[in-house]
Amino acid sequence: MIAALTTPYVAWWALVPLITFAVAGFLLLTVASLVRRLPAVLAPAWTAVAGLGVLLYLVPMWSRVGRDGADSFLAGTVGVDRSSIFVTGILAVAVIAAALISRDYLPREDLPGVELYVLLLMSAAGGVVMASANDLIVLFLGLEILSIAVYVLAALHLRRIESQEAALKYFLLGAFSSAFLLYGIALVYGATGSTNMVRISAFLAQNVLVDDAMLLAGLGLLLVGLGFKVAVVPFHAWTPDVYQGAPTPVVAWMAAGVKAAGFAALMRVFVLTLGTYVSDWRPAFQVIAAATVLAGAVVAVVQTDVKRMLAYSSIVHAGFILVGLQAATDRGNSSVLAYLAVYAFLTVGSFAVVTVVSGTGDASHGLDAYRGMGRRHPALAGVFTVLLLGQAGIPFTGGFVVKLGVLAAAVDGGAYWLAGVAMLAAAVAAFVYLRLLVAMYLEEVPSGTETSGAVPLGALVVAVASAVIVLVVGLVPGPLLDLARDAVPVLVAG
Amino acid sequence: MEVAVFIVSAVVVLSGALGVLLARNPVHAALFLVQTLFGVAVLFVLLDATFLAAVQVMVYAGAIVILFLFVIMLLGVDRADDLGIEPIAGQRPLAAVVGMSLAGLLATVLLVAVDGLTGAPAGTPIGDAGDNTRRLGEALFTDMVFAVELTAILLTVAVVGAVALARRLSGPMQPLPVVAIAEVDDDPDEATGDDS
Amino acid sequence: MLGQYLPIVFLIVLAFLFAALSFFASRLLAPRSPNDKKEAPYECGIIPGREAPERFPVRFFLVAMIFIVFDIEIIFFYPWAIAHGEMGLFGLIAVLVFSLAVFESFVYLIGNGALEWGPIRREAQTGDVVSATRTTSTTVSRAGIRQVGLEGRTGGDS
Repeated sequence: MIAALTTPYVAWWALVPLITFAVAGFLLLTVASLVRRLPAVLAPAWTAVAGLGVLLYLVPMWSRVGRDGADSFLAGTVGVDRSSIFVTGILAVAVIAAALISRDYLPREDLPGVELYVLLLMSAAGGVVMASANDLIVLFLGLEILSIAVYVLAALHLRRIESQEAALKYFLLGAFSSAFLLYGIALVYGATGSTNMVRISAFLAQNVLVDDAMLLAGLGLLLVGLGFKVAVVPFHAWTPDVYQGAPTPVVAWMAAGVKAAGFAALMRVFVLTLGTYVSDWRPAFQVIAAATVLAGAVVAVVQTDVKRMLAYSSIVHAGFILVGLQAATDRGNSSVLAYLAVYAFLTVGSFAVVTVVSGTGDASHGLDAYRGMGRRHPALAGVFTVLLLGQAGIPFTGGFVVKLGVLAAAVDGGAYWLAGVAMLAAAVAAFVYLRLLVAMYLEEVPSGTETSGAVPLGALVVAVASAVIVLVVGLVPGPLLDLARDAVPVLVAG
Repeated sequence: MEVAVFIVSAVVVLSGALGVLLARNPVHAALFLVQTLFGVAVLFVLLDATFLAAVQVMVYAGAIVILFLFVIMLLGVDRADDLGIEPIAGQRPLAAVVGMSLAGLLATVLLVAVDGLTGAPAGTPIGDAGDNTRRLGEALFTDMVFAVELTAILLTVAVVGAVALARRLSGPMQPLPVVAIAEVDDDPDEATGDDS
Repeated sequence: MLGQYLPIVFLIVLAFLFAALSFFASRLLAPRSPNDKKEAPYECGIIPGREAPERFPVRFFLVAMIFIVFDIEIIFFYPWAIAHGEMGLFGLIAVLVFSLAVFESFVYLIGNGALEWGPIRREAQTGDVVSATRTTSTTVSRAGIRQVGLEGRTGGDS
């Protein structure tokens, strides 16, 4: 007589975004394997539709979670709350944008097409897992799906040796950081007796560890592992090389999607799970945040390659997000989510412009390529101007609103010095964007640079839409801030 | 009986490990590694960890060593490296120190451990040899079913990545970075094939 | 209890015996009269000092990757096979989803020709390989460098 086991409860409605991304990737892979010649537009359209479907589905999901509260299922390994829905939305936007930019990029570079979209969808699925993981093992698996797909994506420009170099560097450092993360998970498991985040936080809330050296060591290793993924100083060394070498649409996804998923994981692990140890990890976070904003801003100033410039500026942004995260309050969390959302638009828009400017071969990323752009491509230069001002955090752009949010959260928590350092770094970083603007509008076109042709539609749509959204958020910040305020991350037991 | 099996498999494991170190031919070293891993599998069986034993044979002795052999063949079996040259200065004394400290650490753990070596099981077994694989299966496919399905996605990503990166493209490669600005898109023969 | 593993031990012993016997038999039966000339790798020319570096088809790498992936899949099947009775339909669906996902990668591999070992398929060539309008002189002037005798070769001018 065989006794039936109790099988875990599955909330299918909450798994729909994950399943959509994964199944869309699998179906695309199958169709591409079975049909010899696909119309070139199919894969990007399919990917964008999958992202759009997820984005639309998130609306009823959002209100359902608001009505019924957060839920946890599959034996407590996955949770759904409004913060995970919010981050899923950011990921969906990044997928759509990357697919649109790639539509014209791949034919231009004469690269085979389908794998990029398949890996994009799969890594988005990994990101969704990270944003809703309630278990450290599941979090790790999500991170690996995301990262391994992105390692391959970084190498996908098979005609450029720099692309392969970037992928190799990213892979080696990324694998190293994954090992750190895994070891950290093992130590936390050893100290608390569980990998389930709910059980860990409950254990730490009810017990006082006499000897917490193992837990603290695990905590440090977790910070190292996740810090690599979101590229904060001193774990940022890979960023400029990888951003410079990887195909530009992939960089857009790396900057917007991977960072959002990484910070969602940091929030779940540190703020929610290890919240009782906040006094232990907060100083580390503060030092890292200060070092990140300062080092990123100062080094960005001396760059001559625009992609490296944007890479360092993304490091500065990561530092700012950390400034909000270290507050470990509801206000801090919502400021982080709002920052991630606006940053996603800023970065996909910027890299869409960079894709267009780089020309065939994805090689001209020097400041020279941007000189005189105000005259050659007034529309594109205008859009880029809005995006750069947004990255600098000029008032009336979305960048200003969210920078204010993280600084307010830091001041709220009493970290005045950190807020001061961050403001100083923002002033330094503004110089970087100013330099690009000067190159675009005030400097002469160097002789020998012919005007490039028409701007491809996909990249143009992404750039214009992001610029519009950044402006709208800057002028009417209310809706986004309300959404971010409602997106409280919570851990509930299954 | 168990003691006898333990001694035999310990001899197999240790002689295999020595063989890996002392073998001149890298292929022989890899085969000695198989011997060691197989001996470890027998030790797992002795500990009632049948699933681990199966994994040890299938994944390690089977797949991993095959990969090793593959890399050895790829780099050339007969290529002799000059062992007199030190790629990293002072690595040998350093390795000796690290190895000694590790051995000392293990010995200390054994000596300081509460009761020393008792031979008694550390915890209460949750089932006999046949039972623990079943329990593992139940845990994997109920509590951890989500992680298992994610592993499937991970494996697919790995396959897609391997094929995508091993692909040969028709058409010109880009010149190396030094001349990248000078001659981009100079080739009239450039194929505009989309997918192959 | 360890007795159940006796057949495995027996098999190992049998394998060793077979290998040893084969060596012994070949030494016993094969005629052997070596001399210096026979031992040398080639019977004429310069004696090679070292092995020439070999080029390895990248397909071997793919085969190794595929082998690892499916090996890992098998590992997940084993505990399921032991426990499938208790888990019933849920376990069956779980393992089906899992194997479907991994099988998908197999379809992809076949579709991409990663497992094709025949002669390399050339891309379809446009036009005739040997065209009536092409002569040695046109080839030379087209390429700009001296490049003669290419007529009739396939794939020489891509």
